[in-house]
Amino acid sequence: MKHRRRQWRQLGVYAILTAFGALFLIPFVWVLSTSLKGNEQIFTIPPQWIPSRLRWENYMEVFRRMPVLLYLKNSVVVTVLQMIGIVASSSLVAYAFAILRWPGRNILFGVLLATMMLPMQVTMIPVFVLFKQLGWLDTFKPLVVPAFLGGGAFNIFLLRQFFLGIPADIADAARIDGCSEFRIYWNIMLPLAAPALATVAIMTFMFSWNDFLGPLIYLSEKNKSTLALGLSMFVGQQTNEWALLMAASILMMIPMVAVFFFFQKYIIQGFTMSGIKG
Amino acid sequence: MKGIKTPWMNTHRRKQEAALGFLFASPWLVGFLVFGLYPMVMSFYFSLCRYDVLRIPQFVGFANYHTLLARDPYFWTAVENTLYYAFVRTPLCITGSLWLAVLINQATRGARAYRTVFFLPSIISGVVVSVLWLWLLNPQYGLINSALQMIGITGPLWLQSPEWSKPSLVLMSLWSIGGGRMIVFLAALQTVPHHLYEVVDLDGGGAWQKFRHVTLPIISPVLFLWIVLEVIFSLQVFTESYVMTKGGPLNSTLFYNLYLYYKAFDDFDMGYASALAWLLLLFSVVVTAVQFRVGKRWVYYETDSRP
Amino acid sequence: MNKLLTRIAIGVAGAAVILLLAFDAGGRRQPDDGRIHIRYWTIIGMKEIIPYFAQSFGNVQNRVVVETTPIPWQEHEKKILTSIVSGNPPDVVNQITPVAKWASRLALVPLDDYIRRDHFDSTMFFRSLWDEMRYRGRIYGVPVYSGSYALFYNRALFREAGLDPDRPPQTWDEVFALNERFVKRDARGQMLRMGFIPTYGNIQMFMLMAWQQGATFLSDDGTQIHVADSSVARALQWVQRFYAEYDQRDVAAFLGGLGFADQHGFIAGKIAMMILDSSFPDQIRAYKPTLDYGVAMVPTFPGHPTASVSGSWWLGIPRGAKHPEEAWQFIKHAVTKESQLLEIEKTEESLFPANRFAAEDPRFMNTPAREVFVRMMEYSHSPSIVPLVHDVFWREIVGAQERVIHKLQSPDAALRQAENQIQAMLDEARDYDLYVHTHAEER
Repeated sequence: MKHRRRQWRQLGVYAILTAFGALFLIPFVWVLSTSLKGNEQIFTIPPQWIPSRLRWENYMEVFRRMPVLLYLKNSVVVTVLQMIGIVASSSLVAYAFAILRWPGRNILFGVLLATMMLPMQVTMIPVFVLFKQLGWLDTFKPLVVPAFLGGGAFNIFLLRQFFLGIPADIADAARIDGCSEFRIYWNIMLPLAAPALATVAIMTFMFSWNDFLGPLIYLSEKNKSTLALGLSMFVGQQTNEWALLMAASILMMIPMVAVFFFFQKYIIQGFTMSGIKG
Repeated sequence: MKGIKTPWMNTHRRKQEAALGFLFASPWLVGFLVFGLYPMVMSFYFSLCRYDVLRIPQFVGFANYHTLLARDPYFWTAVENTLYYAFVRTPLCITGSLWLAVLINQATRGARAYRTVFFLPSIISGVVVSVLWLWLLNPQYGLINSALQMIGITGPLWLQSPEWSKPSLVLMSLWSIGGGRMIVFLAALQTVPHHLYEVVDLDGGGAWQKFRHVTLPIISPVLFLWIVLEVIFSLQVFTESYVMTKGGPLNSTLFYNLYLYYKAFDDFDMGYASALAWLLLLFSVVVTAVQFRVGKRWVYYETDSRP
Repeated sequence: MNKLLTRIAIGVAGAAVILLLAFDAGGRRQPDDGRIHIRYWTIIGMKEIIPYFAQSFGNVQNRVVVETTPIPWQEHEKKILTSIVSGNPPDVVNQITPVAKWASRLALVPLDDYIRRDHFDSTMFFRSLWDEMRYRGRIYGVPVYSGSYALFYNRALFREAGLDPDRPPQTWDEVFALNERFVKRDARGQMLRMGFIPTYGNIQMFMLMAWQQGATFLSDDGTQIHVADSSVARALQWVQRFYAEYDQRDVAAFLGGLGFADQHGFIAGKIAMMILDSSFPDQIRAYKPTLDYGVAMVPTFPGHPTASVSGSWWLGIPRGAKHPEEAWQFIKHAVTKESQLLEIEKTEESLFPANRFAAEDPRFMNTPAREVFVRMMEYSHSPSIVPLVHDVFWREIVGAQERVIHKLQSPDAALRQAENQIQAMLDEARDYDLYVHTHAEER
């Protein structure tokens, strides 16, 4: 009896997921189909889902308009550096805020949170002036170095909460055994927090890949431009070229989907090394 | 665990732990002192001035704050709009993401596909999303109104109506429930030990009991985190109204951060914008502090004496 | 073994990061070819195109080389602002109206000395465009492209309604009366077609009407805002009349169904009359070349001159530019009659030259529509009405119209509210301006 009920429930779960999944896919399909249309066909009434002719040349045009490979290289460099920096430094700092006890910790945690509450529009200029005085303008440094210096309040907060969720017994046991704090961090906590780290990696990638304002104001040389900056060129004062914009966006999304696909298995990896089960 | 004296609670160890704490936190401390504190202090100073970035600041004391609170008609509009958005959208999005995460967690087959499908919308760049939704919400030929038409309902004017513009944006944000938020919840759900579910089973409990008594407490730190963050970030909503509605119609989507942007970069009134920013910070601090207070009662942490 | 490998990997990665950042240097060196390289930032209009005049500058001289960098329209103010703050801006930048936004903040190099020295003939520009370049008696930019507005009307629809297609309406009352002839609704009462909608288009039509009625908006000494004047109120009353006759929600729903390209209201034949700009004939040619339309002067009130609005794309030299002299030479080249005509011939974009000799040349003015546009330029006003608080002014104006349309306020009340707000902002801006001038060196 219970087994039958469980079967129905599973079916229900799949049904809902599939229905919603389809709903979520619809706009995405529209972006894809628009990327293969000519500009006149985009806003027709009723909307055309499958273009009469698939204009693959839109994608060729994107490659013609911007040096995709060069921008791709720059985007990859910046994003990978940011990912490394953020995962490494935010986990360290989160460990300090979650596990270790030191004077002023709670106050500083409040300050950490407060840094997220001030809109960046008003700190943008002073930060810019700082970078100028450091001579870092027109390099990747303004984009990359802050990632190694804590990697952003958001990531620290996220990892801190994860660390707090890990039972204390494990770390305590290790300490009693004489393990150094760094060993605990490196060999025990990090693997346990792998899902969280993978999440931070994914979200960092998402943000960095699409980040347009940073490259806009810090990079002047065209050959340092990133893909996001290149994409913004398709949006002029009067944008008519929606199809190209969509095509470029689809191209930009492909690496992100790939990264997501790769990292998501770590999120689900679960607690293979913990002593929690039983 | 409190009160139990474990061998390592002696002074030497405590000093060592404190030093280690600073060491581990040093990347952020350095970064904050250099790139965080200075700009924040400067922006506070500017909030006490008239300043247009290109010329010298004129110190005016708290005049900006006074104008904001007493004489600016747009300030209160922006506050209302932003509060509405933040406090309607946050529960909806969090519940949505959590619900999706729980569902996907139960799908043993095709979970990967589902995760990707729901995640896709959140990686589309902002401009494209805005164009997309402008089209979806078009009163005459948008998909949503056309679908409503098929079941005999005449849809509203959505983004062009002062009453429906904010709900439109809330609707739009629901599309993000499969994004990073859901991934974080999924990760959190993985940390729930299965044997606890079995305990509920043995006691004769169903799905809801499992959720309420096992899942929810275990993921509460992450849930709490996200509620706090979501509120903070939705108070700073900007892109959608900047790209799609420019604050209209009738200032119904004039959000706080959009108004700030207009003041900072259209009017070049950086002093006034800074005052706006600091008021927002103040408000966010209060709201967050309240949440932490309330959080003590429902958030469950494994480690001792936290938070 | 695994541990060792991990350690090595981390070591290598760390070294790579450090090396990468250490060798990532910024700045540029002047290429060593004996010529002066100037940097020109151009905001892209429709496509990422290098203006022809940037390329052709190398044909008329070889002392200066122009390095053009297109910058995106999105957030372009931030990019230019930060570049000036950095002290290393480009030598030439193109921007859109208003000049005073930057000039009033000492962000541009004044050009008067160059103009005087080189006997630069500014009468080559349409008057309103050149006037906008002036701030506090000095010139800060040079207009390159502009736009003119005129009345577009659908001759086929006119014929169908029994009207003479060669006699477009000349007054607003005529326009209003014609609405009844053109309006068409479907079975459910939704609008399918209209004559003229004063809020459809990319300019504020009631402002044109206000100018026609003689509104000046700002006192001559630049201190008093006159937005609540009867001239402006009368213009807004016209809009109010329209929305008393046609329900705002009907109109909004109708407008919602209009789009771009061949879905544009005028091109699709859903709107019989519109005030559109000089780039529109190209749009019609692209999307519906068979459309039978006419172009006429903008209607006005009896006994009043007509009005148009013209901002401009202008070129300026940011404060701190390293090569202002060469920048000036380049700017002069960009606006010669020949440069302008060549540019228009070579580009896909629809450009309207700021140089009137180019505009009146048969190579440009080769259609009846363009003749109307050039004639309308004589009646053109700059949208930079209150330079110090330009954006505030327009936000308030548009807001006032919106409140009137939604029947929240009468035109007088709405305009008075706008006037108070603008005046307050203007007073503050002038106060700050005064402070800066008394505490800093005059440039």
